[in-house]
Amino acid sequence: MAKPALRKPKKKVCLFCHDKISYVDYKDTQLLRKFISDRGKIRARRVTGNCTQHQRDVATAIKNAREMALLPYTSTAR
Amino acid sequence: MRRYEMMVILDPSLDERAVQPTLDGFLKVVTGDGGSVEKVDVWGRRRLSYDINKKPEGIYAVIDLTATPATVKELDRQLNLNEGILRTKVLRPEVH
Repeated sequence: MAKPALRKPKKKVCLFCHDKISYVDYKDTQLLRKFISDRGKIRARRVTGNCTQHQRDVATAIKNAREMALLPYTSTAR
Repeated sequence: MRRYEMMVILDPSLDERAVQPTLDGFLKVVTGDGGSVEKVDVWGRRRLSYDINKKPEGIYAVIDLTATPATVKELDRQLNLNEGILRTKVLRPEVH
C-alpha cells in the first residue's frame, strides 16, 4: 500500500503584517491571549505563524502584561 | 520633553471615587516641572492574574503624559514609595 503523499503545510501569514499593525499594545489582552497557550506559555512562531519581528514584539508585550498582572505567568490548568 | 505612558495599579481598598484625586496629587510633580498630563484613564477595579501583596484585585489607571525623563523618574519613585500603589509601569509607546 502506498503511503499517502506528504501534505505541504499551509503557509501561515503573520497576523500583524497582514493587518498592518506596527505597535503591539501590552494592554490589549484579548489579542495577546491568542498567542499564549492554556497554561500561559507564549506560543512558538511555528504555531502562530508570526514573522520574526512581530513575534518578538508579541513576546515583549506579553511579558509586560504579565508584569502588570494582566496575563498569568502560569495558569493551573490540569 | 518626551511622551510617556504610565500604568498604575492601586490598592483595591481605596475608594473608587478617591482614585482621581490621589492620582492628581502625584501628577502635580509633572505639571509643576513644566510637563503636561494628556489623559488619565481609570479602568476601575479588575481582577489580577496573580496576587500582588496578597491582594487578588487592583484598581488600574493608565496615564498619558509629556515630561522630561528626570520628572518621570521622580514621579515613578514617589509612586513606588506610596503603600497604596501596588505596581507601576512606564513606557514610551513611540519607541516601539
